[in-house]
Amino acid sequence: MLRVNEQLAAALAAEEAAIYAYGPIGVHLTRAVDRTEARAAEAAHRNRRDTLVSELAQLKASAGPAPAAYQLPFAITDRATALKLAIQVEDGVAQAWRVVLPVTQDADRSAALSALTDAAVRATRWRRLAEVSPVTMAFPGQP
Amino acid sequence: MVLTDPVGITGNGYKRRRVLGGAAGATLAMTAVAGCGLFDDDDDKDRKTPDPLQPVLDEALTLAAAYDRAALAQPALSARLTPLGADHRAHAAALAKLIGEPLPSAAPAASSGAPTAGATLAVLRKSEQQAQKTAAAACRQTSAARAALVGSIAACRATHAEALR
Repeated sequence: MLRVNEQLAAALAAEEAAIYAYGPIGVHLTRAVDRTEARAAEAAHRNRRDTLVSELAQLKASAGPAPAAYQLPFAITDRATALKLAIQVEDGVAQAWRVVLPVTQDADRSAALSALTDAAVRATRWRRLAEVSPVTMAFPGQP
Repeated sequence: MVLTDPVGITGNGYKRRRVLGGAAGATLAMTAVAGCGLFDDDDDKDRKTPDPLQPVLDEALTLAAAYDRAALAQPALSARLTPLGADHRAHAAALAKLIGEPLPSAAPAASSGAPTAGATLAVLRKSEQQAQKTAAAACRQTSAARAALVGSIAACRATHAEALR
C-alpha cells in the first residue's frame, strides 16, 4: 500500500510539473498545430492530476507538500526550446507512470498504462513536430 | 546466538559441516527426482504450457518482419519504417530473455508485391493497433515483475500507430 501511495504521489508530482511547464511552452508556440497540441496536452495532464488528487484522498495518503516553485530544466526562449521541453515533460510523465504498473493490479494498472501510453504518444507527436528522429523509443517510460 | 560465541563455532565446525553435507546430499537427491519429472515434461512438448507472453513475443517478430518487407517494397518509406522495426526487435529480445526461450531465427521476408505507400502504412497501423491491445491485456494480467516491461511494449506499439499516421 505504501509503495502504491509513493508511486501515485510521484505521478502526481510529474503531472503537476507538466501542467506548470505547458505555461511557458505555450507562450513560445505560435503555429496553430503546435498550440492545439499544447492545449490538448495541458488539459489531459489536468484531468490526470484531478483524478490522482481524489485517488490519493481516498487512500488517505498525503500528496506531499507542493514545491514552492518549479524550476524549468533550461530556459525557454523560442519554438525549438519549447518543443524540447514538451518532449522532456512527456518522457518524465511516462517514467512516473511506468513505475506504477508493478504496484497496481487490474483496473488500476490499466489506468496507469493508459497514462503511460498517452504520455508516450504525446512525446511522439512532439518529436514529429520538432522533426526529431526517430520519433519513437523502444521502451517508453524506461529511465 | 552462535555467532556471538566463536569458541562454539570452532568446536562444532566439523560436525556442522557433516550436517550440512548430509543436507546437501538430500537436496541433490530431491533435485534428481524433480529433475526426472521436469525432463519427462519437456519430452512431451504438447503438454508444455506456452508462456502467457508468447503471443506478445510472436507479434513482435511478425511486426519486425512486416516492417522489413514494407521497407523493401517501399524504399521511400525505409527511413521512417526501419526504426519502428528495430523497436520490435528490441521487444522480442527482451521478451525472449524474460520468458527464457531462445529467439527463433527470423523467417525470410517474403515479398508481397508492391502496394502503394498509403496502403502499406494503413496495414501496418492496423497491425500495431491490434498488437497494442494484445500487449495491454497481457500487461493487466501479468505479474508485478513483468508489468513494467510489457506496459512499455504496449505504449511503444501505440506510439508506432501514431508515427504511421
